[in-house]
Amino acid sequence: MVRSAWIRRTGPGIVALLAVGMLTSTTFGARDHPWAPGACAGPAGPAAADDPWFRIDPILGATGGLAGQRLVVGRTSGTGRRALELAPESFAAGPFGSVVLAGTDDGTGSQLLALDVVAGCATTVDTSTDIIRRATLTPDRRGVVEFRLDRRTRADLGIWVKPLGPDGAATRAVAPIELDERFGRTWSTELVWSQDGADLAIQSCGESACRTRVFTPGTGRLRLVDGLDIGPAIGLADGRLVAYLACRGLPCPVVAVTIEDGTRCILAAEAGPAVVVATEHGPRLIHERVGSPGRRLGSVALDGGADQDLGPMPTGLGLAVDGVRSGSAATTPPGWVLLAPDGRLPLETDGVAPVLRHVLDGRVSTLDPALAIEEVTR
Amino acid sequence: MTRPLARSLIIAVLAVTAAGAVAGSALAHVPDPVLGKPFTQDQVLKFGWRSGAEPIASVAAAIKAAAADATTTRGSRAATFAYAAAGPNLIGYGSGATCGVNGLACFSRDAPNSFTMWLREQGHVFDWGTLKWCQTYKVAPTGCYDVETISLDEFGHVEGLDHHVNLIDGSDYEDAVVQTYSRTKPKVGWNAHGFGVCDVATLQLVYDVTSWAAKYSTCNLLDTTLTVLAPPTAAYGTATTVTATLKVSPAASYQRLGGNPLSGRIVTLQARAPGTTTWLSTGAMASGAASGTYVKTLTLTADIQLRAVYLAPTDEGLTGSTSTSATIDVGACRVGLCPQSTGGSLQ
Repeated sequence: MVRSAWIRRTGPGIVALLAVGMLTSTTFGARDHPWAPGACAGPAGPAAADDPWFRIDPILGATGGLAGQRLVVGRTSGTGRRALELAPESFAAGPFGSVVLAGTDDGTGSQLLALDVVAGCATTVDTSTDIIRRATLTPDRRGVVEFRLDRRTRADLGIWVKPLGPDGAATRAVAPIELDERFGRTWSTELVWSQDGADLAIQSCGESACRTRVFTPGTGRLRLVDGLDIGPAIGLADGRLVAYLACRGLPCPVVAVTIEDGTRCILAAEAGPAVVVATEHGPRLIHERVGSPGRRLGSVALDGGADQDLGPMPTGLGLAVDGVRSGSAATTPPGWVLLAPDGRLPLETDGVAPVLRHVLDGRVSTLDPALAIEEVTR
Repeated sequence: MTRPLARSLIIAVLAVTAAGAVAGSALAHVPDPVLGKPFTQDQVLKFGWRSGAEPIASVAAAIKAAAADATTTRGSRAATFAYAAAGPNLIGYGSGATCGVNGLACFSRDAPNSFTMWLREQGHVFDWGTLKWCQTYKVAPTGCYDVETISLDEFGHVEGLDHHVNLIDGSDYEDAVVQTYSRTKPKVGWNAHGFGVCDVATLQLVYDVTSWAAKYSTCNLLDTTLTVLAPPTAAYGTATTVTATLKVSPAASYQRLGGNPLSGRIVTLQARAPGTTTWLSTGAMASGAASGTYVKTLTLTADIQLRAVYLAPTDEGLTGSTSTSATIDVGACRVGLCPQSTGGSLQ
């Protein structure tokens, strides 16, 4: 990752993006003033106990249309809270150590930024005249994986990989997914790494059902999971794709599909928000159970065994899922889940404070004042 | 009954029967699948806007209209929806934690306690392009989605409807609003503002009909049971009342509808003399005092066999049915002016 050259080339771009912030926000974040990050001078720092978090929300214009997106980043120590206002077609991913990836497209070009939340700086890791719709860092943090669209037709251009560094050129690693009328046009394409980092799920969702291609970068192998009843992915672990069925709402059944042979196991018949969490006993699905006498937290192994009731959900809190699905994410320690208002990290401090909950022994650790708002960086 | 046959009446009866048979065979599609537990019958679900995610005026108006659509077209005792500023069931506009990555809108339901709903914001960018809500334009452009239709779809999910299973050629798309694939202007069904017959069919199964006289959705086809009750004997020339009872047949698959009395239908009483084969209609029976009952009073002068007939209707999803026959033995003429012949009469 080159951290010195990009600012000359992309600095004005960031300034331009910040201009979006002039538009009226009907959501929130009024306390967060626009952030103009400087260029990073060195390698990304460790996250450790000072993990970054992010939340991205739409900025609505005066007529209620999407005018931009506000990305707020911070550290769980309560420091370093900053806001960046992006174009309407934007996304955030991560955190990856101290880095949050932010992609934004101004209608003529896409820019991919690595925001070092700990160091308080930014690096442009790629630009393209194609639309960079989604991106993720490789598990070794040496490269970036991008999903691109054709700017004129919005046709799928496949998955591209670019080494981080001054000389790295993006090359296509996975071809576009073929059209399949059964799924309709593609509404979203998301990238999900397996917990061991060996496989990447490339999930292309129609309005209802999703097709998932599991790509193994080490071998180039590509396997397809394309059941018409499979919905958005929750996680990828132990050779299983964990996904909702193709519901449009919650609760919804969750299944684990063995990638190799397509066999399925129903993990939860009526799951609310759900995540796959690594534990010392292997990966587990953690999910909200809806129903009388109220919401509870459940846990089950990916083979459907060792089902466990983790007790009632605290009032006012919901299970926080990944940043792709919720637009908010924080690094949580292995074996812990984050419970937060509406399942998202709050930007205000006057509500119920989020907590961490251990999925095996039920310990609870408050994050308050972990996400407390410090004086906004101007 | 030995009076000359009313030939014209028989022809009329046969003609009506044939029409009913044709209508019944056209009912090939099925009710929407069920999604989770239901709310309680006629439960009023008040909704309000999620703080910080209030819909813009045009979208809010369309959501309210959809709520009214759901309430007025449910054709059942499904829950109703009403806006209230402090409504506990929150509807949001813009990014939401429950919507995931795809789709125009989403919901969560915890029947019979609560629900939530979210609609994407105007201009939300998907892989295929930018979301356009029709209501946000003075002239709705081609390719826009109708907020009212999409919201009605979501209200249908909240009620407990899963996506309708369409015929292969999609020709029955308008039979349901709760669809897997939403349609944009100007495709057929893009602006449906009432539940379709297959939505209503499931709502009726789950929540029951609003009254015993209410129509049953034509997306369903429920068997009916018709019984007739007549005294085994009657005195010559006295008024004798025959009672028929029409119900939806009891069947577990009919859920709340099995065994429902069917009032306000047309049930006719047919008669014939014992030993003959041709039934003649005596006319429509009047509504009885009890739900689903029909009565007709006859003055009998000879033994008679009776049966009740309910012809399959063309405007609701019920099959026709015919009762078993009942025989009334009529005593000999003992008073007054008795006929010279030995035949009976029906007066």
